[in-house]
Amino acid sequence: MHIKSSIISIILFLTLTFNVTALVIGSDDEEILIDANFSGQDLLVFGAFYADPSQPRDEKGDLLIEVVGPSEDVMLRKKKSFIGFWLNAYQVEFRDIPGFYYLSSTSEIDDEFLDQNNIGILKAKRSSEIDWSSLTINWGGLDSETDKKEFNEALIRTKTQESLYKETDNEIEILDGNLFKTSIHIPNTVPVGKYDVNVYLIIDEKITKQYSYHFTVTRIGIEEAIYNFAFDFPLLYGIISLTIAVITGWSGAELFRRFRKS
Amino acid sequence: MSIYLPIAELSVNLFVLLSLGGIVGFLSGMFGLGGGFLMTPLLIFMGIPTNVAVATSANQIVASSISGTIGHWRQGLVDFKMGGVLLIGSVFGSILGIWIFKTLVASGQIETVISILYFTLLTSIGTLMLIESSQVIRDRIRKKTVKKKIHYHNWAHRLPFKVRFYKSKLYISIIPPIIIGFFIGVLSATMGIGGSFILIPAMIYFLGMPTSKVIGTSLFQIIFITAIITLLHTTTTFAVDAILAFFLIISSVIGAQLGVLAANKLRGEEIRALLAVIVLVVAVKIALDLLVPPEEVFNLSVLRVIF
Repeated sequence: MHIKSSIISIILFLTLTFNVTALVIGSDDEEILIDANFSGQDLLVFGAFYADPSQPRDEKGDLLIEVVGPSEDVMLRKKKSFIGFWLNAYQVEFRDIPGFYYLSSTSEIDDEFLDQNNIGILKAKRSSEIDWSSLTINWGGLDSETDKKEFNEALIRTKTQESLYKETDNEIEILDGNLFKTSIHIPNTVPVGKYDVNVYLIIDEKITKQYSYHFTVTRIGIEEAIYNFAFDFPLLYGIISLTIAVITGWSGAELFRRFRKS
Repeated sequence: MSIYLPIAELSVNLFVLLSLGGIVGFLSGMFGLGGGFLMTPLLIFMGIPTNVAVATSANQIVASSISGTIGHWRQGLVDFKMGGVLLIGSVFGSILGIWIFKTLVASGQIETVISILYFTLLTSIGTLMLIESSQVIRDRIRKKTVKKKIHYHNWAHRLPFKVRFYKSKLYISIIPPIIIGFFIGVLSATMGIGGSFILIPAMIYFLGMPTSKVIGTSLFQIIFITAIITLLHTTTTFAVDAILAFFLIISSVIGAQLGVLAANKLRGEEIRALLAVIVLVVAVKIALDLLVPPEEVFNLSVLRVIF
């Protein structure tokens, strides 16, 4: 499909200022289209600290870039050894968690600050607000705070392994002490829907400027059409699947019979 | 070249997929087996989710059993009446099977139960095939010919509701075929198999059907039972992957025809012994997956995306 390059950059051009109020925005409301051949792409976010370029970097504060994907409900299962067999012994539902989360900063940001401002991969990572009523399978022995923490951490860990969650403090490039740039990898497993990009400028532990925009991720192509069809018209989908099977099976046998005769 | 499977939600190598379908088709054509019992675990090894592997196999078996039935039907080797009676049982069996399947998916135990079922099944098949083929090889070396009994009279002939099956030259109660059909239906729906390797011996030993008509009749009823199961899966578990099924069907139909050709030219016992070994290796792999401590004890699955 995209012959020229698999990387399409969505460009956000913005300028953050200390004392000048204008925020210059290059583009927003962009769309990322995912088809069967989509192998992930990089989302480019860049801009400038629109202050006096000669000022030292320290006084310009820190930058925080956050990308939050659409919410989803997930099921986390834990296996346990049971007379030698590894079986799913626990199952917890997490509701309304981001399907994609990315946080990047120019320097290390402490958890307390993130908590206060409601930023960061799920509050679950630090607090243990896991809803134990959603424990739909429980083979016993789960009650302590450590267990809750273990589940929260496992959620972050598995999402991180799937490249869907990331927290980093060394990916924002500063050029000339004034321009910044970062590229965020969007893997092909991301959920479809609306994504929010938030850029914060932090000075003296306070958010002094914030700029937000969003983009959407859409799945396209025949595969997506099949997926939707299978869920929207299951009976018809089944009948079509069967028809294909009948025709292929029948014609295959016929073809070979004639081939053998000749 | 890789291809995206919309329901399984992952990309697989098309060449690997076609080879898998071709090889399983070849083996099924060669030995007259459905091949579902190898297809499903191999799909799972490829990384296809268990529920998708099971449901899609059912769809693929529809095609391969049609292909096979035609040949037997042309030679007049299908007992449609017996097939119909078996089908009555298996319709009810498959409804129960789908219910079991759904319950297992909901309770998170589907992978484990399917693994244990397959381990049991493949170990028994593999061992039996190995014993049988090695006996044939031994007998051939000793230049012995094996005499087989053709007709059995047993309890199946003494139950009520007796019906005449002209094609099979039988006058038996319809209760045993319905029970056999029911059992096969449960297995088909939960495991994604046609069940011919259980059905065929059951028809010969329990019902006393003539060997010549058994394969065609079992294939005939498998068409319908797997078709019903496919529909039950698309409407209740949403796990049939049409793209996956399509490539498996094409490759397995071609493979099956080549397998039939090969069967006429090659001596079967050595290859059957080899198949037995393959089946046992697959069984061992399944057992190891259950027994070896996993690197990650946690497993995450997305239930729904909120818009």
